[in-house]
Amino acid sequence: MSKKYWKGIDELKQTPEFIKQKDQEFPSQQSVEDFLADENLAESSTARRDFLKFLGFSVAAATLAACEAPVTKVVPYVVKPENVTPGMPTWYASTYYDGASYASIVVKTREGRPIFIKGNKDFGFTQGGTNPQIIASVLGLYDSARLAQPLAKGQKASWSTVDTAIRAAIAKAKKVTLLSHTVISPSIQRAIAEMATKLNGEGGTKFEHIQYDAISYAGMREAYSIHFGARSIPSHDFSKAKTIVSVAADFLSTWLLPTEFAVQYGMGRNPEAKWMSKHFQFESVLSVTGSNADVRSMIKPSEEAAVLAYMVKALGGNPGMAVSAGTWKDAADKAVAALKKSKKEAIVVAGSNHIGVQQLVIQLNNLVGAYGSTLDLNNTINLYQSEDAKALKLAANVAAGKGPEVLIMMGVNPVYSMPNGAAFAKGLKSITTVAISSFEDETASLCSYVCPDHHQLENWSDHMAKANEYAVGQPTIRPLHNTASALESLLVWNGSATRGGQDSAVAYDYIQATYTAMNPTGDFNYLTHNSCVAVATTPAALSYKAAALKAIPSAASDTEVVFYQKAAIGNGDFANNPWLQEMPDPITKVTWDNYITMNPVEMEGTYATTYDQEHGLNLATVTVNGKSITLPVYPMPGQAPKTIGIALGYGRGANGENIGKAAFQTKEYGGHAKTEDGKLTPIGANVFGMLSTGATLLYSAAAKVTPAEGTYPIAATQIHHTVMGRHSIVRETTLSIFQNNEKDAFNEGHKLQKLDKHGDHVEAPVSEFDLWAAHPVEKIGHRWGMSIDLSSCIGCGSCLIACQSENNVPVVGKDEVRRGREMHWLRIDRYFASDEEAAIGTKKDKETFSYDNAEKAALNPTVIHMPLMCHHCNHAPCETVCPVAATTHSNEGLNQMTYNRCIGTRYCANNCPYKVRRFNWFNYPSYKKFTEVNPAQDDLGRMVLNPDVTVRTRGVMEKCSLCVQRIQATKLVAKKEARVIADGEFATACSDACPTNAIVVGDWNDLKSMIREKSEGIRAYQALEEIGVKPNVWYQMKVRNEDNNLLKHIQVADQAHH
Amino acid sequence: MQKEAAIREPLILGHKTYHDVTEDVCRPIEDKAPKMWYILFGIALVIGLYGVGSILYLLGTGIGVWGLNKTIGWAWDITNFVWWVGIGHAGTLISAVLLLFRQKWRMAINRSAEAMTIFAVFMAGTFPLIHMGRLWVGYWVMPIPNQFGSLWVNFNSPLLWDVFAISTYLSVSLVFWYIGLIPDFATIRDRAKKPLAKKMYGILSFGWSGRAKHWNRFELVSLVLAGLATPLVFSVHSIVSFDFATSVIPGWHTTIFPPYFVAGAVFSGFAMVQTLLLIMRKAMGLEAYIHTKHVEYMNIVIMVTGSIVGTAYITELFISWYSGVEYESYAFINRATGPYWWAYWSMMTCNVISPQLMWIRRLRRSLLFTFFISIVVNIGMWFERYVIIVTSIHRDYIPAAWSMHFPSHIDIAVYIGTIGLFFVFFLLFARYFPVLALNEVKTILKGSGQSYKESPDYHKHH
Repeated sequence: MSKKYWKGIDELKQTPEFIKQKDQEFPSQQSVEDFLADENLAESSTARRDFLKFLGFSVAAATLAACEAPVTKVVPYVVKPENVTPGMPTWYASTYYDGASYASIVVKTREGRPIFIKGNKDFGFTQGGTNPQIIASVLGLYDSARLAQPLAKGQKASWSTVDTAIRAAIAKAKKVTLLSHTVISPSIQRAIAEMATKLNGEGGTKFEHIQYDAISYAGMREAYSIHFGARSIPSHDFSKAKTIVSVAADFLSTWLLPTEFAVQYGMGRNPEAKWMSKHFQFESVLSVTGSNADVRSMIKPSEEAAVLAYMVKALGGNPGMAVSAGTWKDAADKAVAALKKSKKEAIVVAGSNHIGVQQLVIQLNNLVGAYGSTLDLNNTINLYQSEDAKALKLAANVAAGKGPEVLIMMGVNPVYSMPNGAAFAKGLKSITTVAISSFEDETASLCSYVCPDHHQLENWSDHMAKANEYAVGQPTIRPLHNTASALESLLVWNGSATRGGQDSAVAYDYIQATYTAMNPTGDFNYLTHNSCVAVATTPAALSYKAAALKAIPSAASDTEVVFYQKAAIGNGDFANNPWLQEMPDPITKVTWDNYITMNPVEMEGTYATTYDQEHGLNLATVTVNGKSITLPVYPMPGQAPKTIGIALGYGRGANGENIGKAAFQTKEYGGHAKTEDGKLTPIGANVFGMLSTGATLLYSAAAKVTPAEGTYPIAATQIHHTVMGRHSIVRETTLSIFQNNEKDAFNEGHKLQKLDKHGDHVEAPVSEFDLWAAHPVEKIGHRWGMSIDLSSCIGCGSCLIACQSENNVPVVGKDEVRRGREMHWLRIDRYFASDEEAAIGTKKDKETFSYDNAEKAALNPTVIHMPLMCHHCNHAPCETVCPVAATTHSNEGLNQMTYNRCIGTRYCANNCPYKVRRFNWFNYPSYKKFTEVNPAQDDLGRMVLNPDVTVRTRGVMEKCSLCVQRIQATKLVAKKEARVIADGEFATACSDACPTNAIVVGDWNDLKSMIREKSEGIRAYQALEEIGVKPNVWYQMKVRNEDNNLLKHIQVADQAHH
Repeated sequence: MQKEAAIREPLILGHKTYHDVTEDVCRPIEDKAPKMWYILFGIALVIGLYGVGSILYLLGTGIGVWGLNKTIGWAWDITNFVWWVGIGHAGTLISAVLLLFRQKWRMAINRSAEAMTIFAVFMAGTFPLIHMGRLWVGYWVMPIPNQFGSLWVNFNSPLLWDVFAISTYLSVSLVFWYIGLIPDFATIRDRAKKPLAKKMYGILSFGWSGRAKHWNRFELVSLVLAGLATPLVFSVHSIVSFDFATSVIPGWHTTIFPPYFVAGAVFSGFAMVQTLLLIMRKAMGLEAYIHTKHVEYMNIVIMVTGSIVGTAYITELFISWYSGVEYESYAFINRATGPYWWAYWSMMTCNVISPQLMWIRRLRRSLLFTFFISIVVNIGMWFERYVIIVTSIHRDYIPAAWSMHFPSHIDIAVYIGTIGLFFVFFLLFARYFPVLALNEVKTILKGSGQSYKESPDYHKHH
């Protein structure tokens, strides 16, 4: 029997009403007519109060309905793409190569947007090394000046139009030349080879491929060709070199393969290890590398050969040229002694592009036995294969109207970067020119057809930067614009492929085929996952053979100029990247400009040697090979006397080419500065035109310098250059003191006086004194800390750019930097030694110490780079003074800033002993002054912002958060996996970016953590320890591998005294 | 009645009667304003409006329109704030402390000195407000129960103490001043002929009828308020000095600051009173009431407080050396010999040397010299604050962060603008308010009036 359910009491009791209505579907139906006909209707009334209630309700309801909030559309994924979870980052291994820098990288994407690049520490020979340009290249993806479609004769065109025209031109031409930067892509090489085969047939000469780099290493390759019979550059291994001798090679920042060299160099600079490398640098302009040298000697560029020849002779070789000694003799003798001692565990490099100088380097390396030890000829470096002679000849031919009918230029900008670029530009008009370029730059704007390449982060690519490694770059975003891979363009023009549109697989398939041909059993997906795979190299039977030295130019009697590259701007490709323009130069700390560097000693009396917000630098005119430019003169300590330096890579867009908003000078209240004839004003001056051309391009020349009228405002982030002998900011010792003495000798903690039980005065360490209750981060939960090793920090600036990228740090432009208002959360303080100091931070003599002299850097000073960010003090002075408690301490030891609560009194910044707090003086994301420079004001540029970090508004304070968003993410991952956070799992943007692993972060409460170990090490100290703010940042003191008797006397003798 | 030695200089010169006093004080209010008043008011108004415009630009654009930077977070803003607060010290000191000490000479000057105090505190109060990055949320400094969660103010912060100190000082000064004005408003009301004036002064005088009971209450309230105001004179500037003294910045972190700041404040306040009164007595024909003797008394105060300030400067220098603290020593070496040496030596000259000249009787009784020195002192006191604030933070601990401060034209405009606004207020005060506490002055007329002192009967009475 089934259960009986009833609907209500009425049904249960079967009342008459229920029975009556049971079958009626619509109970008590009443028609409208009936209702209206009801006589009593008029009597039923709504009371006045009820009426008002109804009225009130209706009005309120209508009003509320009307003031609906604007609809912001959040469109959910109907079908969620694989690996894209809103709020969760996805990382892709890839490879970076832009014709100059190369690195294995990992790209962070959020909701399908790449927003952060770091070095790949797990795979690739660069071992996590990057440079500021690579990290900043993610911003270039969102550059609104990038070409969005092909151009034909300067007009927007479709790919089919452009392709048809180019193919027709190639078919018709008698001579087709491809001018490209060094191609390290096996696939592009294969495509070019196919093109050559097709056009040339058997033995034809219709097609020619010339490789040309803005910065040439042809001299080095030619020298190898002379001595080893192969135009190749061997692998360099600085990590094995106990002695490093560099003659004007800035190998940590701009020379050859700095992404790899910096990592290797860092490995050899650990004073706690068995050995520490000894680094000699002979150079004219104080470079990043020179600033790290143990012994640095100032030489003129014309003395480079002499220094090398002197060492060759001292090591028993025959330099093949007359040998004489100069002011550098002392340093050269020391270098020779070190080379003799370290034997084959040594490396000699030179930055010169002169064949003769590089021949001497080869001879020296051969004498010490470096080949097979630190230099590996079997594993060649494939970067920089520029053939200067061919490229220059091509340019001359084009200029003379004798060029090829079709000139394809891929990834090069010869109009800007060739010495004879101007003449070349004129000749371009008479031939069919094709530019594969992302911008309508100096060259592309003159070309018949411009075929924009994908940005690297949109593109499939493959690379063989070194003979033993094959790497691929994978796209991390669908192409933003209607651009096409250069590889695809070449294949299309050659008729071996058809255009595939935005989702084209042409390049992908072709690269996969290249890989399969190379490694038939290889798994391409596995390769993509790791980004690279090892390739067996065939030992080349290369052996050294002596040869006559190419003629060494005689020393110029005049002042000599050195054309160098700056860490941020490099060869000028990044002139439109505001992060890099605003990155302080590691040595001069100047942003947004180039200048003439000159030793302040030589400037006395003629040029201003100091500068600040209002007092600019004097101008001077430099004349080289009949060409003149006028630039400000920067007082650069360590600049060799009778030499000056000028950075390449500036003066981009001299004819107002649309290469990006940030590449041009801006006005004080916003907008671009215009020249008299209404053109945009480039930043700095282009000095590529001043390079001397011979067998190879030469980056130094005789110059005439004459003071010019006027001063020029300079935007530097640091206007005071010495540490004034302050021992508690930076500490320095030498390797021998470090190895042979107790901690108290070289790294004595600050002590204060106190009374003991008997009422006697005794000294006690600062940590024993405290006005405050201990902060509850000790031994409870996490306590995040950081250690920065001043010995391994090379000052490259990668951390600064990584921080800017991670934390949405605004770009403020030259005028604001000049006013001392850059927003960088992490800065790298650079200190020069003064003559009052035995070592940086140690006074020679406390009694006679002169503050006036201490302000001046020494003639050839030693240098310390000191990255500085919020110290997350446990007794933070900023926290106590905020009236509204907007900055407070977290229970994990972080000093945290609550932007929403900040009212902007700036008291915290004033009271910060480290001066790391940054105030939002303006509304950077919207105020007109920053439209040209701040990516956050650009619809496309805004895409680079990290969604995990708030974009700060005007009037609030900000500062380093120790990447708290990353801490939270790390904690979350660990929590989901129900485990504790492993040491090393959490990394800040800066520690991630550091090529030498100078920055270590971690949980200090984890007794086994690296940070704990570092903080307790004998080199550890805390900056300004004595003021008792108890920071969570430790520094590892600088150890220089040199002899310093004065310092030894002070540190060791002093110790004996105690 | 006041008993006073006959040999003391009379405080009221000329043969004034009670009626004369009333007439002298009320005349400027009842007569048409002289042309000069309109000219001065016009100039002050234009400058003041320029300042207001600059402030609006500042609020609309951002603090970046000032010349501050990452190292120097305060410069002219807080310098001006402390300067104005300092100036605002004289009024309350004169009316409260001197009242308790029964210094009758204060009666001629206290009204305008208090007015000056109030206007100066208005100007001072402007700066902490406009120096905030986000003025629109500035009310968060008040401990108001709120719905932002458990957000509360930080009672550790000296800036918060400032909020309370300044607002208390302003309210007590304002009440004190107003209480004093009531009988005088009543006098004006009684004499007023125009209906509007009668009505307005009627409202302002709170129905004062001059009954003995009113006078009794008046005296009592004055005494109570004087008692309340006296500690404030010392507390306000002590607390302002805590803004610096409790920090960790060498040159700021100094225990000597509270007394030194209070002395400096009285010093600059009296100088400002001198500047204003020397003009006012001439312009409004009050030479009989504010004369050489008053000026001399005030000069003595300037001399004494100036000497305290000078001693403090030298003590600071000595301690910086004696401490042996690297940063502390350098902060003071840098003040005297660094890039801002000119500011330091301007301060030293104006504040240490110039008041010492007041030892010379002829000089301290010279009105012209006093006027000159009063301006010099206030220039010096502005530099003192600039030196303390800017030269301390422009080179503190980390040399790489060292910087320089250059004011922008908005910095200058806002500062000059507050001077303009101050004079707008003061000129309005001089035009519509009794600038002399006339009913109080009347109480000393028979004790210290010239005619009474010279009359042969004077000694008989006592």
